[in-house]
Amino acid sequence: MTLTSSSPIEESARQGERIFHVRALTKLYGVGDTVVRALDGVDLDLFQGELIVLLGPSGSGKTTLLNQLGGLDWPTSGELQYRDMDLTSATEAALTRYRREAVGFIFQFYNLIPSLTARENVALITEIADDPMNPVEALEMVNLGARLDHFPAQLSGGEQQRVAIARAIAKRPKVLLCDEPTGALDLRTGIVVLEALEKVNREMGTLSVIITHNATMADMADRVIRFSDGRVQSIEKNDHRAPASSLKW
Amino acid sequence: MLSYLDRKVVRDLSRMKGQAIAVSLVMACGLAMLTMSRSLIFSLERTRAEYYQENRFAHIFAHLKRAPNDVRERVAKIPGIAGVQTSIKVQVTLDMPGLDEPASGMVLSLPDRGEQELNRLFLREGRWLEQGSRGEVLVGEAFAKANSLRPGDSLAMLLNGRRQSFNIAGIVLSPEYIFESRPGAALPDNKSYGIFWMPYEEVAKAFDLYGGFNYLTAMLAPEGKEKAVISEIDQVLQQYGGLGAFGRGDHPSHIRVSDEIRVLQTLSIGFPLVFLSVAAFMTNAVLSRLLTLQREQIAILKAFGFSNREIVLHFLKFAFAMVIAGVSVGTVGGALLGNRLVRMYEMFFRFPELHFRFDKSALLWALLVSTGAAMIGVFSSVRRAAALPPAEAMRPEPPANYKPALIERSGIAHLFSHSFRIAVRNLERRPMQAVFTVAGLALATAILIIPSTFRDSVKQILGVQWDIVNRDDMTVGMMEPASIKVHDNLKHLPGVVQVEPFRTAAVRIRFGNRSRQLGIRGLPRNRIHTRVVDGSLHEIVLPPEGLVVSDKLAEILGAKVGDEVIVEVLQGKRMTRTVRLIALAEDLAGIGAYMDMQGLNRFLEEGDIINGASFTIDTAHRSQFLRALKDIPTISWVAIKETLRDNFRKTTAASINLLQSIYMIFASIVAFGVVYNNARISLAERSRELATLRVVGFSQREVGAVLVTELVILAGMALPLGLLMGTGFATAIIKMVNTETVRLPLVLTSSNYAIATLTVTIASVLSAANVLRSLKNIDLVSALKAPE
Repeated sequence: MTLTSSSPIEESARQGERIFHVRALTKLYGVGDTVVRALDGVDLDLFQGELIVLLGPSGSGKTTLLNQLGGLDWPTSGELQYRDMDLTSATEAALTRYRREAVGFIFQFYNLIPSLTARENVALITEIADDPMNPVEALEMVNLGARLDHFPAQLSGGEQQRVAIARAIAKRPKVLLCDEPTGALDLRTGIVVLEALEKVNREMGTLSVIITHNATMADMADRVIRFSDGRVQSIEKNDHRAPASSLKW
Repeated sequence: MLSYLDRKVVRDLSRMKGQAIAVSLVMACGLAMLTMSRSLIFSLERTRAEYYQENRFAHIFAHLKRAPNDVRERVAKIPGIAGVQTSIKVQVTLDMPGLDEPASGMVLSLPDRGEQELNRLFLREGRWLEQGSRGEVLVGEAFAKANSLRPGDSLAMLLNGRRQSFNIAGIVLSPEYIFESRPGAALPDNKSYGIFWMPYEEVAKAFDLYGGFNYLTAMLAPEGKEKAVISEIDQVLQQYGGLGAFGRGDHPSHIRVSDEIRVLQTLSIGFPLVFLSVAAFMTNAVLSRLLTLQREQIAILKAFGFSNREIVLHFLKFAFAMVIAGVSVGTVGGALLGNRLVRMYEMFFRFPELHFRFDKSALLWALLVSTGAAMIGVFSSVRRAAALPPAEAMRPEPPANYKPALIERSGIAHLFSHSFRIAVRNLERRPMQAVFTVAGLALATAILIIPSTFRDSVKQILGVQWDIVNRDDMTVGMMEPASIKVHDNLKHLPGVVQVEPFRTAAVRIRFGNRSRQLGIRGLPRNRIHTRVVDGSLHEIVLPPEGLVVSDKLAEILGAKVGDEVIVEVLQGKRMTRTVRLIALAEDLAGIGAYMDMQGLNRFLEEGDIINGASFTIDTAHRSQFLRALKDIPTISWVAIKETLRDNFRKTTAASINLLQSIYMIFASIVAFGVVYNNARISLAERSRELATLRVVGFSQREVGAVLVTELVILAGMALPLGLLMGTGFATAIIKMVNTETVRLPLVLTSSNYAIATLTVTIASVLSAANVLRSLKNIDLVSALKAPE
């Protein structure tokens, strides 16, 4: 396991297509005295096929960055480009289309639709996607082929999170954004979920960004970005990614 | 195939089916009322229009003393007239063997040859009269049914004082007698009054009218103007003793059907409006709650690229599902109720066939109105769903911003329990939700007031009309006016305790350009039987001069007390004079005009003349009295109070009671639905909070107290408001059911209010109990887990 300290932007890891181009990105919440600088001048480039782990304490701005990348929110200032698209000036409708076509989300609390089965939760999304996977195929990819017709309430936390992953990847997104995907899970199930993410990244070449405050997960990343106070503290590059199954915490 | 988002609609709906059903049912109640009344209006209007058209019902009607038959040609030449029918119309006395009292009726002549040009009959049973036949008669259905008469039976009549026996050839209906009743009588008595048809020659000869006629009806050409034609007809008939022609608008049978349609129109707007407002409130509450619960789901859908339009549509589908259910149940229910009520109309109205006809436009209306109501209900909540920024929605809702309730800040906080504080703070934090619940409950209470008001008001009519206004047992009318001396003979009939004579005269009362034909009734001084009372039921003393009319008549004429109205007498010397209106009488059925009897006789320039009398009878001698009456040939009709009251109970009161029970059921559904819905929402929204209370050591009872306290506070605000609103609704609806036929007095009793309060309270208690039961099932552990 080799950690290489490097200057933040230029030394981008692999030579895939540049997916995100971020410069001086700033996001403020609130007004007047109560203003909070959630993002305070972030510079980043993220490339196709990378697996990025975003580390940082609570309130450091990780989730805010993820929301900007995912087109859930507009930044206050700065540059934010997805390929050739300027996300800072995109309309609500354009952002909706962007999310629909390019982004897959995975959240800490899975956020499945409780009234739909595993298969239906995935199919709900593939229904509106252009070139989706078969929902069954997506669920098999996360080893849930046997639990297709179970409702969320009938699945364990790890299983629910894997349904969420299947839902996110089924539309073959260019970007997979994961906010504390193992935050609510124990070690064993957490590892299974990470293995699924790893597999997706490897097999589909999707740029995957994983937010966590669990430093152990840094080992499985191509690059590790450390965040605090709304700024990038450091970007580290791993020469070799450790397999998720070898992680321990 | 159902899209996956639609599957979510179906599954979510099935999970909240209790509430969805409650909303749909309330909607269905309103829509059932709407489709029922619209369809009944449609049925009555169409059936009547077709009947009129097919049987050529006339537009103009005129009674006269006698005119030679060739006058018919002169009338027919009046521009604007498309057809004329002349006939003889006379009053007869009947001798019904099975009937104690004398029965009477109207005989109309049929042309000796060919069919009538206008007002053609419909043969229900038996056959038509044979040409040139004698001693045969056609009988109107209402009388035939009431007396179980069939073709082939015989019937004795006194024609111009001569008793003759007739063979019944057929049972018929006439567009002129859809409502068969003695002229001037507000209530029908089909057992003792009937309509008959005979060949012209036979009637004319019996009444010395051969070669002439005393009744004329005319049909307007499409371009004919009713008013102009009437005045031309009046001019022609004046020299023949014309009593003044009138249009359909003054035709008694036509008015009755129109009045019924008007009442239905009122009901078809008023009730559905109230029900659908409640449904709108409930839809709003249910959807708001759904949105709150699905905050994170909405965020997910947005994060995955569902557009605002898709999400708004998704939530509108919930409302639409409730609308579809409501419309289906409502229209089917309305059709069933309508079918039932149409049979009720068969008691009053005689049509060849009165089928329930479903008004398809009602379905459209139902869909439009309920969709509108639902849309109003969901608009704000759905807009909230669209406005929710996805990033924000992803996080669980921040803790609500509570503060001490107003009532606590007033410095008496220490007096309240924790449960009370939580309840009050919660209500204060969500004032709109509290307002909606209070509004829904208040409307439910208000709806309950209306049907009871109808019932009480019918009771009042029965009481006022027959215990306060008319205190006699029987009223008798005479063929021709007679000298006051007849009074003495009447006094000596068996069983008579008290007899009071009266005098009536056919007149047209005119004020400005409005007029009405009716009979002025002259009443003796110092009378006991017939009282004329004002709005507060105080007797009005009839001075020697001046006229008292029904409040309703004054309203029709646009006249008020002190005005001089023009009275045209339509009989005798036919003078026209002005008379001062000295008071308005509160009568509840028909329209009337009253004068002092001597004053009326002076006015008519006739001597002391009477043409009827009212009696108080010793019940022990009742049948003797009636038999004696039968032997007096000059008696033309008898009205027995008990019979009328009975008929009223069986017909009008029965139908109003039927409607009342329908409304009562509907109102209870609303009350239950609103409370149930509110308690469910309260429980669902706060299951975590309530579970937390349980976990930290509150007993189930204490937690229940929080919910119950909220309900009690809401109900406490809603009930008085509802009683007030109900009073308003009832007043408005009763005012609208104000026709020439019948006027319902506004009667608001404490028992009415008590029933409404009790029903809502019971519904609330049942709902609360239902919800408290599910409090037991709150899963403490899962409720405390992270939201999913």
